[in-house]
Amino acid sequence: MTREEIIAEINAELAEEFEIDEATITPDAPIYQTLELDSLSLVDLIGIVQTKYGVLISKAELPTIKTFAQLYDYIEQHQK
Amino acid sequence: MNDVLIIGSGLGGLECGALLAQKGLRVLVLEGSHQPGGCMQSFRRGGLHYDTGLHYVGGLAPGQAMHKAFDRLGLLDLPWERMDEYFDHVIIGGRHFTFHQGYEAFAEGLAKDFPHQREALQSYVRRLQNITEADMDVCAYDYLCQTFSDELLVNVVSAAAMKTELRRETLPLFNFAHTCSSYIESSWRLKGDGNLLVNKLIGTIREAGGEVRTDSRVVRLTETDGRITSVTCADGQSYEAEHFISDIHPAVLCQLLEGCPSVRKAFRRRMAAAENTCGMFTAQLCIKPDVLRYFAHNVFIYDKPNVWTMTEENTPVKGVMVSARVPEDGSDTLRQIDLLTPMPWHECQAWTETKVGRRGDNYKALCQQKTEQCIALAEQYIPGLRDMVEHCYTSTPLTYRDYLGSPEGGAFGMRKDCRTAMLSFHSVSTPLPNLLLTGQSIILPGIEGVTMTAFETCSKIVSGLGIRA
Repeated sequence: MTREEIIAEINAELAEEFEIDEATITPDAPIYQTLELDSLSLVDLIGIVQTKYGVLISKAELPTIKTFAQLYDYIEQHQK
Repeated sequence: MNDVLIIGSGLGGLECGALLAQKGLRVLVLEGSHQPGGCMQSFRRGGLHYDTGLHYVGGLAPGQAMHKAFDRLGLLDLPWERMDEYFDHVIIGGRHFTFHQGYEAFAEGLAKDFPHQREALQSYVRRLQNITEADMDVCAYDYLCQTFSDELLVNVVSAAAMKTELRRETLPLFNFAHTCSSYIESSWRLKGDGNLLVNKLIGTIREAGGEVRTDSRVVRLTETDGRITSVTCADGQSYEAEHFISDIHPAVLCQLLEGCPSVRKAFRRRMAAAENTCGMFTAQLCIKPDVLRYFAHNVFIYDKPNVWTMTEENTPVKGVMVSARVPEDGSDTLRQIDLLTPMPWHECQAWTETKVGRRGDNYKALCQQKTEQCIALAEQYIPGLRDMVEHCYTSTPLTYRDYLGSPEGGAFGMRKDCRTAMLSFHSVSTPLPNLLLTGQSIILPGIEGVTMTAFETCSKIVSGLGIRA
């Protein structure tokens, strides 16, 4: 998948799953605030990425993903 | 108004109810079926009681894994009988091995059969005593293969872990170790049926002014201002409470949470998508009077060293657990033996639309065939067993599904996967601050796992009830 395809797909998926307006998802937007994540729903985000792309975000690397752009980077680099 | 409302009266729900009632909270437990107890319930046929999920319990002696928890729950007063020093016997490919109670004795006993693995066995029992949450990410099968160079020994030490789902790729060491270790500390059987345990917990709840209502199937939870405020049952009755605990399968709970704005699709779908563990086939044999001496140990019999693969494909039956029931009349001969073997859901596919007692002749023939295969294996330890049987009652994953509401008849709740531990081990918390989870799907299955989880769940409501309590 190209980066553009990943962005289009994951944005639509996250908007649907977290019940937010897709327009609020921009590359530089803070992922935790935009998706209203807490420790529990963070696991939901990890689950979506794992199910959709077979990419498991490790505990160690989780703190490095703060924006949507960083999430796209992570998926692009780790997708199988 | 109730302080705590608990949905489901399985062991986890009743333990939570008893713990919170002891702390002075007013508890209401709602059970959807006619009989409370979930996997702990028993049934009566021909004057004898048969259990569904209770066979033996580990670690009840002072200072051991379950002693403090059962003491606080009032369950130590029940008539527990310590099993033989050689509490589990394992027969693989005709070779006979024994598990001795006590970690050192366990290692030394097996070292007599595997002298070249003595150090590995000592390392193994040390590891069992030092399991941490980091072991949720460790593959049990890989760990065993790295620890033991002898493949037969990998099978032998795993043989009694039929109490969980043995899958090479997924089973975390955390689960495997908890399934094995408390029994090595000490093993116990209840002299009596599982209803003793159920009734004791219900008694504790009622003594404190609480209530357990059966035939009360919850069909909806109502959220107001970010909290659950009430549940509604199928009969239209609604109940309010300050806190809510779910002891039903999390995927089933999520169906009841439709319409709750705080529970977003992401959470519901994660729970719904979680895989379930395999189910079990059980043949409960009523033995003719005075023909077989009681034996206070279990026997795990396999035709080959295939302990870690038979869960996936178990036709014909490749392994069986043989568990005798303590004679309640003080006799030295037994009347009841349970034979258990894994049964994957796909073997039940032809009857998923059927109900109890109306599954047809093909289903009866399947149960008959499996029973005969289980008995044939069990005869390696009890020669002539088939001629001792007076009656036989069978259950399959369909039975679990229909009586206990367990999706796909899973015997051990939702599957835990060491490759995705973060996703498959669940928090007792939910997106709603006053709705908590308990039961075997959350962290660990089995009596020990469910009890540990109940303490964890209750610690979110009352301080001082932590998982190590």
